Amino acid sequence: MSSDKKKMTRGELGLQVIIFGLGFFYAIVYYVAVPGIVDLQAVSDQLLAYITAVLTAAFAIGVINLTRVHYFNIKRKRATWRYSIILLVSLFSMLVFSVIASPFALDPNAAVIPAGVIQFSTPIWDFLYYKVLVNINSSIFSLLAFFIASAAYRAFRARSLESTILLVAGLLVVLGQAPIADLIWPGFSIIRDWIMAFPNTAGQRGILIGAALGIVVFSVRRMIRYPW
Amino acid sequence: MFELIAGRISQAVLLIIVLAAIYEVTRIAVKKKLKTRGIPGLERINEWIKEAAKRGRPVFFTPGTGVITTPDTLASMTLLGYVAKHCVEYGAQIIVANSDPQVQQLTEDIVKGAYTKAGKEKEFTPDMVRYVSTRQFAYAAGVMGILRREKPAVNFFVGDFQAEALQVAEAGRAEALYQFGGTTNTDQLSFFATTCDQTLIGEELYTAQGYLSADPEAISKLVGPDAGKILAILLILVGAVLVTFGNSLLIYLLGL
Repeated sequence: MSSDKKKMTRGELGLQVIIFGLGFFYAIVYYVAVPGIVDLQAVSDQLLAYITAVLTAAFAIGVINLTRVHYFNIKRKRATWRYSIILLVSLFSMLVFSVIASPFALDPNAAVIPAGVIQFSTPIWDFLYYKVLVNINSSIFSLLAFFIASAAYRAFRARSLESTILLVAGLLVVLGQAPIADLIWPGFSIIRDWIMAFPNTAGQRGILIGAALGIVVFSVRRMIRYPW
Repeated sequence: MFELIAGRISQAVLLIIVLAAIYEVTRIAVKKKLKTRGIPGLERINEWIKEAAKRGRPVFFTPGTGVITTPDTLASMTLLGYVAKHCVEYGAQIIVANSDPQVQQLTEDIVKGAYTKAGKEKEFTPDMVRYVSTRQFAYAAGVMGILRREKPAVNFFVGDFQAEALQVAEAGRAEALYQFGGTTNTDQLSFFATTCDQTLIGEELYTAQGYLSADPEAISKLVGPDAGKILAILLILVGAVLVTFGNSLLIYLLGL
């Protein structure tokens, strides 16, 4: 990595100047104002608007990548080529119906697209979004319950001193969280609150402070050196 | 002419102090050639990639669901560069899955660059670096699908992860020989710790570059952020003592 230091090309140097300039500008805008001369915040907001435009364009690149990967899956009849057909049909049908009939439709007042097409497409988009997409999303999310159970089983095994401490702390928190815990012994919820408020918070804040300092150093390093 | 924005003055002063401390400690560390402790996981990356190449199975990498401006995502690019370089070197196929189209462009550039640097640009194919979906659970489903179908030998989940973290990590656990996770998201770190063979915890993600480098100077530079941590600890201690005795001077100063 940094051992293979080499001279920057002109392009890399130009890019580095832009990275440093923009990074420095955003850092300055956060702390400093120049009243009466220039509204730095407005300039920064304007630059962010350009970023939004670039981000939107990047979505098109994402769609091109997805189409290219799955097109070649189908063309070369790879093992899962049938799934690729489903993906491409879903992608482009959702794209077409979203453009015509979603809340972000391009022509909601039917100035160009015939009103009949919009009327025909609206229930289809509703079905695809609310009956298919939302439900699939919820199903994938709910898989977490099973994954948490298997991860907890793996974590809560007393193999070493550390994992035993984790097991005991975990059990006490789970017990303290259960509605029946206070009926068994009121101390469970006090122990749970203490574990969550002190050792847990202290550990999390330690990680956060370290990460924040890491981000500062990493950002400065990135601002002054481009190649990854 | 210039005016410091009220409420951010103390932050600016602290930032300057921290940066100055980091610079000074780094300078001393480089001069004295200080050594830091190793991160065991990083030392084993090479072995794992070699093993993947030997078994003819791919190496999988995903930077999570962060966008191009997310610090964790950017930090993970350093590791991707290292992994891609060694995949090319040992002849292991690399698969990268992205949830953000801009990050996909960046990862493609890094992987393609690794092949080009090694003079093997013809071996790079566009389906090595894939855009999956910007929607969190569609991305999770896509990644789980790739893991099940392509059965990579090594999984790298390094970057910004939210609720999908456990799904991708558990799916990987079921398929891969080795798993490597890394994030600063404390809510998801516990899941990585239980499902991965090695985990980069918090700031380790940002210091990975130094550890992976063979350059002794880069290793010495890792000591720098510790100066910031010592300052933070001192501030916490002084603040705790002052507040205990009813003095709110530090709270006032930090609020400036």
